Amino acid sequence: MTDDRWMSGETEVTDALRALYAAPTDESYWESLEARILAHVSRRADGHGWWFAMTDLARPALAAAAILIFVAGAAVMHTRQLEVRDAYANVISAAPPSIETAARTASAGDGDAVINYIMSH
Amino acid sequence: MPAPVDGAANERAIVIAAQRGSDDAFAALVRIHQRRAYSVVRAIVLSHEDAEDAVQEGFLHAHRALDRFRPDQPFGAWLYRIMANAALDLVRRRKVRDADELPDNVPIPFRDPAESGELRERLQEALMHLTDRQRSVIVLHDVEGFTHGEIGRTLGIPEGTARSDLHHARTTLRRLLQNIRSSS
Repeated sequence: MTDDRWMSGETEVTDALRALYAAPTDESYWESLEARILAHVSRRADGHGWWFAMTDLARPALAAAAILIFVAGAAVMHTRQLEVRDAYANVISAAPPSIETAARTASAGDGDAVINYIMSH
Repeated sequence: MPAPVDGAANERAIVIAAQRGSDDAFAALVRIHQRRAYSVVRAIVLSHEDAEDAVQEGFLHAHRALDRFRPDQPFGAWLYRIMANAALDLVRRRKVRDADELPDNVPIPFRDPAESGELRERLQEALMHLTDRQRSVIVLHDVEGFTHGEIGRTLGIPEGTARSDLHHARTTLRRLLQNIRSSS
């Protein structure tokens, strides 16, 4: 079977392929890559832990936020009810101006007119 | 007289220590497997830089999945499958990114001017005519010496598919490189 392996004279293709995909041979390169891999894992693994810690906290945080929203909403409603009640109370309790006061004001106005009429004649 | 250290047993002990949270043990696993891991991902991605990224990402996935690994299994096969997945994922993301960019911005494979032999150049171009999987299979087989079965397990494909991919890759390369080989 010739198509599952190179034929004689085709080994140069394999050699070129190996040259093209050759891994670095410098030992310091591998030491450097190892350090980068471990740093990457350490950094991301910590991030992973942080994320999961946040995920664990998410449910209680959501519950707390819901309670806060409910309490704030209740407070707003309560304040609004108080304002409405005070407004009604003011309308109901406010005394209408007395007839005497109104008449005095009116008569005072009439007196001024009489005096003005006498003085001008 | 101490008993001779069995390589597989020794690695199993290191894996178990890493599963128990030993950073030193995990570093030892990285030291043992990083070259082979690089070779696996390099067969799948298009550049050395992408291979470095894929190796780092692959070890991160392995670290996260370490507690799910059964120590009675061969660690290398498990790790290289993770590496292959990380490389395939990177290739997929690169394709999405490249599809979103203008054609002028598509990166071309790096060519070392000092080694720009005609066969090398033509081979690089010919490899671009293979599918990603065909290219991975022929590199894993011819460069890394993987068997069809190992290629299948690493890439998550049936052994027969690996064999078929290798056949098609050879046929394509043979056709594309025919002129240069017959003239040399």
